[in-house]
Amino acid sequence: MLTDITGTLTGVPRIDAVALLPVIAPVVALLLVLLIDAVRPVKPLLNLVTLAGLLTAAGGVAYLALEGTERSTACSIGVVVGTAGLSGPSPLPESLSPSDVGFGCSYLVSDLTLTGQAIVLVAAIGCLLLALDGPGAEDRTAHHTLLLATVAGATALAGARDLATLTVALETATLPAIGLIALRRDAQGAQAAVTLLLTAIASLGLLLLGIGLLFLATGSLYLSRIADVLASDPDEKVLVVAVAGAMFALAGIGFKISLVPFHQWTPDTYAGAPLPVAALLSTVSKAAGLTAAAVLLGIGLPALHDAWAPLIGVLAALTMTAGNLVALRQQVAVRLLAWSTVAQAGWVVLPLAASGTTRDGVREAVAASLGYLLAYVVAGLAVFAVVVLVARHHRAGEEHTLEAYRGLARTEPVASAVLAFALACLAGLPPGVMGLIAKVVALRPVVDAQLWPLAVVAALNVALALAYYLRWTALLLATTDQATPRWRLRPAEGIVLGGAAAGCVGLSIGAGTIAGLLPDLLR
Amino acid sequence: MSWLLPALVLVPFAGALVLPGLPDRFAVRAGVGVALVTLALAVLATYETGTTGFGRMQLEVRTDWVPALGLQAHLGMDGVSAPLVLLTGLLSVLVCLYLTRVGPDRNLVACVLAVTGGSLATFTALDLLLFFIAFETVLIPMWLVIRIWGDTTQPGGTATRNDAASRFVLYTATGSALMLLGIILVIARTGTSDLTELIERGGAGMSVTTQTVAAGLIVLGLAVKTPMWPLHTWLPPAHTIAPTAGSVLLAGILLKLGTYGLVRVAVPVLPAGLQNVAPWLGGFAVVGIVWAGLACLTERDLKRLVALSSVAHMGFVLLGVASMTPTGLQGALYANIAHGVVSALLFFVVGALKDRHHSADLSVLGPGLRDRLPRLGWLLTLGAVAGLGLPGLAVFWGELLAIAGAWQSSALGALDRPYAVIAAVGTAIAAAYWLRVLRLIWQGTPPADQAGLPDATHHETVVVLPLVVATVVLGLLPGPLLSTTAGVVRLLLPGGGVVP
Repeated sequence: MLTDITGTLTGVPRIDAVALLPVIAPVVALLLVLLIDAVRPVKPLLNLVTLAGLLTAAGGVAYLALEGTERSTACSIGVVVGTAGLSGPSPLPESLSPSDVGFGCSYLVSDLTLTGQAIVLVAAIGCLLLALDGPGAEDRTAHHTLLLATVAGATALAGARDLATLTVALETATLPAIGLIALRRDAQGAQAAVTLLLTAIASLGLLLLGIGLLFLATGSLYLSRIADVLASDPDEKVLVVAVAGAMFALAGIGFKISLVPFHQWTPDTYAGAPLPVAALLSTVSKAAGLTAAAVLLGIGLPALHDAWAPLIGVLAALTMTAGNLVALRQQVAVRLLAWSTVAQAGWVVLPLAASGTTRDGVREAVAASLGYLLAYVVAGLAVFAVVVLVARHHRAGEEHTLEAYRGLARTEPVASAVLAFALACLAGLPPGVMGLIAKVVALRPVVDAQLWPLAVVAALNVALALAYYLRWTALLLATTDQATPRWRLRPAEGIVLGGAAAGCVGLSIGAGTIAGLLPDLLR
Repeated sequence: MSWLLPALVLVPFAGALVLPGLPDRFAVRAGVGVALVTLALAVLATYETGTTGFGRMQLEVRTDWVPALGLQAHLGMDGVSAPLVLLTGLLSVLVCLYLTRVGPDRNLVACVLAVTGGSLATFTALDLLLFFIAFETVLIPMWLVIRIWGDTTQPGGTATRNDAASRFVLYTATGSALMLLGIILVIARTGTSDLTELIERGGAGMSVTTQTVAAGLIVLGLAVKTPMWPLHTWLPPAHTIAPTAGSVLLAGILLKLGTYGLVRVAVPVLPAGLQNVAPWLGGFAVVGIVWAGLACLTERDLKRLVALSSVAHMGFVLLGVASMTPTGLQGALYANIAHGVVSALLFFVVGALKDRHHSADLSVLGPGLRDRLPRLGWLLTLGAVAGLGLPGLAVFWGELLAIAGAWQSSALGALDRPYAVIAAVGTAIAAAYWLRVLRLIWQGTPPADQAGLPDATHHETVVVLPLVVATVVLGLLPGPLLSTTAGVVRLLLPGGGVVP
C-alpha cells in the first residue's frame, strides 16, 4: 500500500528486478570488477566475475523466455499535476489509461527484447572468451568494464520503449567501444579510437536531433504513444516534423550499423582495434544498432513506413553493394572482414525496407532482420575465432593478409573446416544452409512487396560476396611448401571455435530457429 | 519403403563426410562401394516406383524442416525423376571406379559423392525451397573439383584454372540467386512451397503477370545451369580445365539439374507464365543449337568441342521444354538422358586421350588415331556418331521428338515451325562437325613421336562399357524410357497436354 501511495504521489515507477536482470547483471559485474581491481586485482577473478555477469544475464534471458509472460517495468502510472483548483499531483481518472495522455512503460520484456538480448549476450560471451588471452586485454580491468558497459547498454536497448531510454542505452552500448579500441595503445589504435569518437559524436548529435523532433511532433517520448499519435491521421505539419525526426534518428543509428554512407569509420577502426574488439564491434555493436532500428521503426514509427522504408531500401542496396565491391579488393584479412561486415549490415536491414504498415508485416520484417542478424553473428564469431588464432601464430600478427591462410587445411584441418563452413554460411551457399535460409528470410518481405530493383540488387550481391568468400576458402585448400607451426589452442579460444562451429551446424540443421523468430505480436 | 529415398540421398553425403578421414588407397575403394550402394538404392527405388506406376509420385516421405517458411523435407519419385536418378547413380559409380586407377585422391572422391548426393536430392525434392537448397549444394563440391584438380597446363596456368572455377561458380550462383527471387515470389503468392500441391494447382492463385515474372526469373536461373546460349560462356572453360571426373559429372549430371528444374518447376507450376516466356526460351535454344554447332566446326580443342556440342544438345532439350507439348517434353527428357550418357562417354574417352597426349588439340590427337589406338579410336567414333544423331543411337530419338514437339507447339505461337526448321538445320551442322572430327582421326599418318602410346586399358574399357551399352540400347529400344516419362508428362502440362 505504501508503495502505491508513493507511486501515486511522486510518480516514481516501480522496478521489476527480474525483468531487468539481463541489464542489471552486467552492471553489477562491472561494479564488482572495479571493486576487485581496487582491492586486489587478481586476473582469473576478474575474468570469472565478468563471465559470471554475462552468464547471469543470459540466465535471466533464458528464465524470462521460459516464463513466457510479458513483463513491463519502469512505467509511468500517469500523474496529473495540479489543474482545476487541485493542489499537488493527483492520480489519473480511471477512465483514462496512462498511454492516452502520453505515458507508458520504458522497459518491456517481449519476444523482441529477449531475442535481441540473447543475440547480444551470445556474441558478448564469444568476444570475451576470445579476448581473455588475446591482444588488447593486458589491461584487463579496463577491457572488462568497457565490455560489460557495452553489453548493459545493448541489453537495455532491446527492452527500451521510450526515446530517452533508447538514446541513453544506444550510447552506452557504443561509446565504450572507443575505449576498447584505444586499449591497443599504438598510433593506429589511437587513430582508430579518434575516428570512432568523432563518428560517435556526430551520430549522437543526429540521433538527439531526430528524437527531439519526434518528441516535438508527438508530444511523447513513449514509443507506443508515438505510434498511436502518428497512426491517428495527424496534421500534415506534425507529419513533416515527425518524418524529419525519423530521418535524423535513422541517420544516427546508421552510423552504428555502419550503413553506407555512414560507414567510413568501419575499416580503419577494425584494422586499428585489437581483433577481439573488432569482433565485438561487428557483432555486439551491430546487434545493438539493429535492435535500436527495429525498436524505433517497428514499434514507434510503423505509421511513417512510407517515409523511411524507401530510405532504408536505398541504404541497404548501397551498403551491400559498396561493401562487397570494396571487399573484393582487400588483401588484409581483418579489412576484408570489415568490408564484408558492412555488406552484411545491408542484408540485416534489408527486410525493414519492405515491412509495410500492417502489424504483421512489420513483425515479419523485424523477425527477418533479427533472424539474419543471428545467423550473421554466429558465423561471424566463428570467422573471428579463426582469424584471432591465425593472428597469434602468424608473424604478421593482426595485419596478416589472406596469404597467411594458404595451405591451412593441411596443418590445421579442424580450424580450416570451421572457417570454410562459416564463410559458406556468410555467403549463403550450402553446406552453409543457415546463411541460405537467412537470405531467404531476408528476401521474402522484399519480394512479397515487389520491390524488384532492391531484390535484384540483393540477388546480384550474393554472387559478388561469393567471389571473395570463395577466394578465401580456396586459399585454405591451396598447396604450399611453407611449413607452418602447429597451433597451440587455448581453452577459451577452443570454446569459442567449437561453440561457434556447433552453432553454425546446429542452426543449419535446425534452420527453423532463424526463420521462426518473433512468432507473436511485436511489442 | 519410406526409408528408401532418404537413404538414397544420405548415403553419398555420409560417404563424402567420412572419406576424407581415411587413407587414400582405401578411401578410393570405399568410394566405389558407397557409389555402388547408392546405385543399388537407385535401382531399388526405380523398381519400387515402377511396380506401382511411374505416372504418380511414389515413395513420398515428408517431415517439417523450417515451419516458418513452410519448408518441408519432402522427397518423392516419379517417371521424370527415376531415369535421372538412375543416370546419376550409374555415372557416380563409373567416375569412382575410374578414380581407383587414374589420379586416386580421397578428397576428389568425396567431392564426387557430394555432387552425387546433391543431385539425387535435387531430382527427388518435392519442396521448392528444398529443391533450391539441393540445387545449390552441388556448387561448392564442383567448384572444388575444378579449382583443385583442374588442368594447369593450359596457357595461363593456375590463373586460367582459377578463372574457370570462379566463372563456373559465379555464373551459376548469380543465376540461382535470381531464381531464388522467383521461387520466393511463388511461395509468397501461393502460401505453400510444396511442389505436389503447386503442381496440382497448376498456377491457380497467381495472376498471369506474377507467373510471368516468376517464370522469367526461374527460367533464367535454370538456363544458366543448363546452359542456354548466351549464358553458356562458363561451360567451355570449365570443361576444358576440369579433370575427366569433373567433366563427366558436369556434363552427365549437373547440366541435367537445370533442365529437370524446368520440367519439374517451371512447366507445371507456372504454366501461364512459361507460355509467355516460351518463345524467348525456344528462340535462345535454337540460336544456341546453331551457334554452338558453328563454333564446333572451327574448334581445335577436342574437349572444348565436346563441351560446345553439349550446348547444342541442351538447346534441343530447351526447345522441347519450350514447346510445352507432350511430344516435346518427352523429347526433352529423352535427350536429357541421352546427352548424359553420350557426353559422359565422350568425356571419358577424351580424358583418356588427353592423359596420353598431354593435349586435347585435334592436330595432336588426330592423325591416324584409329590405327594407333584402335580401342580409344572406336570409342570416340561411337561417341561422335551418337552425337551427330545417327538413328539407332541414343541421341536421335530425343532430338527428333524435340523438333516434332516444336513443330506442333502452340506455346511458341507463329514461331513453332521456323524454330523446328532451324533446329533441324542444327542437326545437319552437328553431322558436319562430327564428321570433320572423324575425318581427322581416321585419316593421316601418325607422327613418329607418338608411336608406342598405350591403348585403352581394361580398366578404362570396363568404365566406359556400360555407357556404350546404354548408348546402343537407348537408341534401339526407346520404348521403355519413353513409357516411363509418358504418364507424368501429361500430368505436368496444363490441361493434360492436349494439343488443341
